[in-house]
Order: sequence, then C-alpha cells, then structure tokens
Amino acid sequence: MKLLTHNILTSHVKGVTKGYPLLIKATEVRVNEVEFNPQFVSRMIPKLEWSALVQAAEGDLPSSLIQDYENNEEFLRKVHRVLLEVEVIEGCLQCPESGREFPISRGVPNMLLNEDDS
Amino acid sequence: MDRHDSDPTLMSGDSSQPITVTIGATVPTGFEHTAAEEVNEKIGASARISRDRGRIYFQITTDKLPLVHHLKSVDNLFVVVEEFENFQFKDSKEEVFADLQALASNLPWHNALEVWKMNISLKKKRGRRRGNAASRPSPDAGQDAAEDAVSMETEHKAAQEVDGQEGGSPERDGEPKEEGSEVKPLKFRVTCNRAGDKHSFTSNEAAREFGGAVQEVFQWKADMTRFDVEVLLNIHNSEVVVGIALTEESLHRRNITHFGPTTLRSTLAYGMLRLCKPQPSDIIIDPMCGTGAIPVEGAMEWRQAFYVAGDNNDMAVSRTVNNVGHIQRKRQDAGSTAPGLPVDTLQWDVCHLPVRTGSVDIVITDMPFGKRMGSKKKNWDLYPSCLREMARVCRPGTGKAVLLTQDKKCFTKALSRMGGLWRKSHTVWVNIGGLHAGVFVLKRTGSAFGTTPEDLRDARGAEGPEEAELKNNLRTQMV
Repeated sequence: MKLLTHNILTSHVKGVTKGYPLLIKATEVRVNEVEFNPQFVSRMIPKLEWSALVQAAEGDLPSSLIQDYENNEEFLRKVHRVLLEVEVIEGCLQCPESGREFPISRGVPNMLLNEDDS
Repeated sequence: MDRHDSDPTLMSGDSSQPITVTIGATVPTGFEHTAAEEVNEKIGASARISRDRGRIYFQITTDKLPLVHHLKSVDNLFVVVEEFENFQFKDSKEEVFADLQALASNLPWHNALEVWKMNISLKKKRGRRRGNAASRPSPDAGQDAAEDAVSMETEHKAAQEVDGQEGGSPERDGEPKEEGSEVKPLKFRVTCNRAGDKHSFTSNEAAREFGGAVQEVFQWKADMTRFDVEVLLNIHNSEVVVGIALTEESLHRRNITHFGPTTLRSTLAYGMLRLCKPQPSDIIIDPMCGTGAIPVEGAMEWRQAFYVAGDNNDMAVSRTVNNVGHIQRKRQDAGSTAPGLPVDTLQWDVCHLPVRTGSVDIVITDMPFGKRMGSKKKNWDLYPSCLREMARVCRPGTGKAVLLTQDKKCFTKALSRMGGLWRKSHTVWVNIGGLHAGVFVLKRTGSAFGTTPEDLRDARGAEGPEEAELKNNLRTQMV
C-alpha cells in the first residue's frame, strides 16, 4: 500500500464518524522506485490531506506546506517518494475510533467488513 | 501475372526503400474513433473507418511498421493487398467462384508480401529479446477461449503457476519458415469473413475457392493450423478486402498473464481509458477490477495518473497483484531504474468503499454482467448501491465515470434515480464476445453527496457510516 492511497482511505465501520486517517502499523516496508514527475506531484498536493500525509511519513515531511512548492524540485522529490515509492507490505490499518484493524498482506489492505461491523 | 514475380522466395527487390501500404486493423466495435485518434497521434496517419464495423484503415510507409505494433487499441493487424468498394457478385455460385479464382491471379501481391516478410523479421527480433517463452499461457488462444468461463478457471490455475512467463502479445513460438532457408514451400490458409444478405455463397466456400486459386498462383501448401501466411478475404456486402495477416493471435490480452474468468480485453480497457482522458494527477479507481486489466493498461499508457484497483474476491486481488508485479519485474529486467507502476491494489466491497467522500477523479470499471459473473437478480440490488457509492467518492463537478455493462436495462434504471448525482455524457455500444454491451460515460454533477433528494430518500434506509455522517452534516447545516 502506498501512502497516496492511504491518504484517501477512511474507516467505514458502522457508526464511526471520525474514521480518518487510519493509523498505520507497519511490520514490513519497501521502497519501489517510480518515475518522478513534478507536474503529477505539484497537482496532487492540493488534493491531499496534508496533515495525514505528514503523520504517515513519520518525520520525512514538514508539517506545513512550504511556500512556492511547485517550483521546488527537492521538495517535490521528497513528496514523490513519500506518496508513490514507500510501500507498506505487511502490517495493518487501524480505525482511530473503533480500534478495528484491517490487515495488510503482500502490500494489499483487506478492507472487507464482517456482517456485524458494516 | 507472372508466377515468378509473385513468389516471395525469389524476391530480390530493394527492401531498404520504404514503400507505402495500407494497413487494416480490427478494433473493438464501438471504439473505431478512439483507435483512429491513436493512429493519428502515434503514427501521424489519418485513419479511415470502414463501413464494416470494427475495422479501420490507414496508410504508412514501411519504415513505420514497428510503430504499428505499438498501437494499444487494435486487436489484429493486416496489410491490404487490394480493396474493392463495389465488387459485383454475380448471381450464381459458379460464377462467383470463377470470379474469385480469377481474382487471385490478378492481385498486386508484391508489396503486401514484402510487408509480410518485414513483419516476420520484426517478430523474430521481438521474440529473441523476450528470451525463451517456453509455453505461452493457454488462455491466450483467441477470444473464443475467453467466452468459456468454466474451462478458463482450470486453465488459469496452471497458467498462474508458471513463472518467467512473457507478458505482452501472445506470439506463437513455432517459427514460420524463412524463405531462402529451405526449399520447402510456404504454408498458408485463407480466412474469410462474410457479411451481407445478397450473397449466394458461404464464407467457407469463398475461402475454399479463393484458397485453391492462391495455391495455384504461389504453389504454397494449404495448412489450416500451422500456416506461415494467412490470407484474409473480407466481404462486407459489395465491399471486398484482400489482406495478409500481420498478427497471429489477437493482441488484446497483451498485459495480462494471470487471467480470470471474465478478463477484459486490453484493447477494450485502453478504449475505455481514452474515453475518460486521464489527466496528470487524476486519482482513478476501478472498484471491481477483476484481474486488473484496466488499471494496468492505464498505468502503462497514462503514467501521470494514479490507479487504485479493488475487488472483493480473493482470486481477483491475487491476480491483479500478480499482473502488476509481472510488469514491474519485466521493466526491471529490461533495465529500468524506476520500474514501479502507479498502481495500488486493495480488497474491498464496492458498495462500502473505504474511501473519503469526493476524493476520486475517475471511476472506471467493467460491471458484472449477470451472465458470466453475478446474476441478473443480484444486479438489481448491486447497481443502485454501487452507483451511489461511486457518486459519493467521486469529486463533485469534475469527476467522471466510465462504466461497461451488458445489463443496460438494470443500469439505466438505477441511473435514472440518480439524476442529482450523475449526468449521462455519452454511450459507446460495444460487442463483448457476442453480447451487446454499453460503455456509459457519466459526469458527476456539482451537487455535494447527501444534499440531493434521492440521497436523502435512500439514506432513510439502513444507516451506514456515510448516512450517519451526512445526517450529522445536515443537522449542523440546518442549525
């Protein structure tokens, strides 16, 4: 699971209203090189929940967006790495409100709910 | 025509001088225009759409032949020997057969055969680069195999286990005999496609008669299965096209090595993606991804978007992961320093997407048809729920959906109750293995989810997390 995906995921457990962002508990992480495209990154930034990304990136990103980031290649490359290249292979995602855990295996989060929690 | 001149084994012409030829391509019916667009973009040729659905024609100089093989919207390619717009088919069979026989010896075969030769050496080069493809995956055997859902499952399990499979176009390993290498004559067959109600003959008869004459002209050996040259005789009313095939098997499964029971043709996936014109930074989800044909095609052709593939089925998820992984490994082996594709795969339920409201730019998927997958009854429940969920996650105002379905009735009914959320943009009618299906292109209206009359009406039913949230929102708004 890439962190860009994590940024749009939310808990859909029944009755939960504060299910975003999901907490990441990773036991295996991998870096998979993806072609860098500055336009992709700079256009993606406004679509993101920046604070959730910062939290997921665990210190690699500044807590607030820098000024004129569109022209800052070094910054864009950092964001690119966080969004597309870091992958959680094993672990789980946890709903911040209910505590319900969704396992991640082979890089795939299983978000299926059982009868009782959907 | 002098037999000597038309025999390719004796050809000594200057093959370095590019010649102009007409190439014909078969494409998924309904996507002729998108295919023509691609030809224009990638080859710079303007394509003509045939009256015979599912075919386009364009001219190239032979130096552009390699480019033609990179077209993503075409299923099969052939080089035109000759086209007749108004072939006068006589009334009796005997007369027609006589005409076809005469035709064979009067056609300008030379250029087309030159192209066929060039094509053979092109394929050999590509085959060498790919290394030893010991056995191609069995599901590649043309479209017919795809229709047989039951046998597919067992075949796929075998195909899945083979590692180091070559992805991409399912080429035959049996090398056709190169001229000059042996004295043996080439083997050929004639494939005839006939459509029209004024003909006094069948396609088989035409193939047989024409084939007989071709054999006389070239002294080739007829062989229905292991042929070197496939001569195409396409008859559509009074339009006749004679061609020579440049692809052995359809290119339509190119990126998929791990198949599922209803794997979508890559050419169809490509056509659907072209319809929604992915822009840089678009977040595109396929919430019923099956084997991942659409996200994989997208990630390769429109690399500046991001694809999230999801399915509820274990095997589908596994196959998607394998298909993506296979391509990444191929790229790595080819020396890429950035082999990763912008795709992620999840296991989820399309009716309860774990995705933030309004966070997705495009929803694109092949919806269950109810014949091979799911059931018609299930569709009555599934279609409204998933259309609604798709509307929720889709960005209001700018969001789009491209949805393929054969259950047009059910889909249209479900859609009619969602006028506040979805607006029909246009529909492309396609043919999927004999079934008439539609690709519906929808635009997400500017209305926020939860504020349109139908939302409120539906929300009064079972309360899920979105309903709880939207009721909450409405309450605060009303204060």
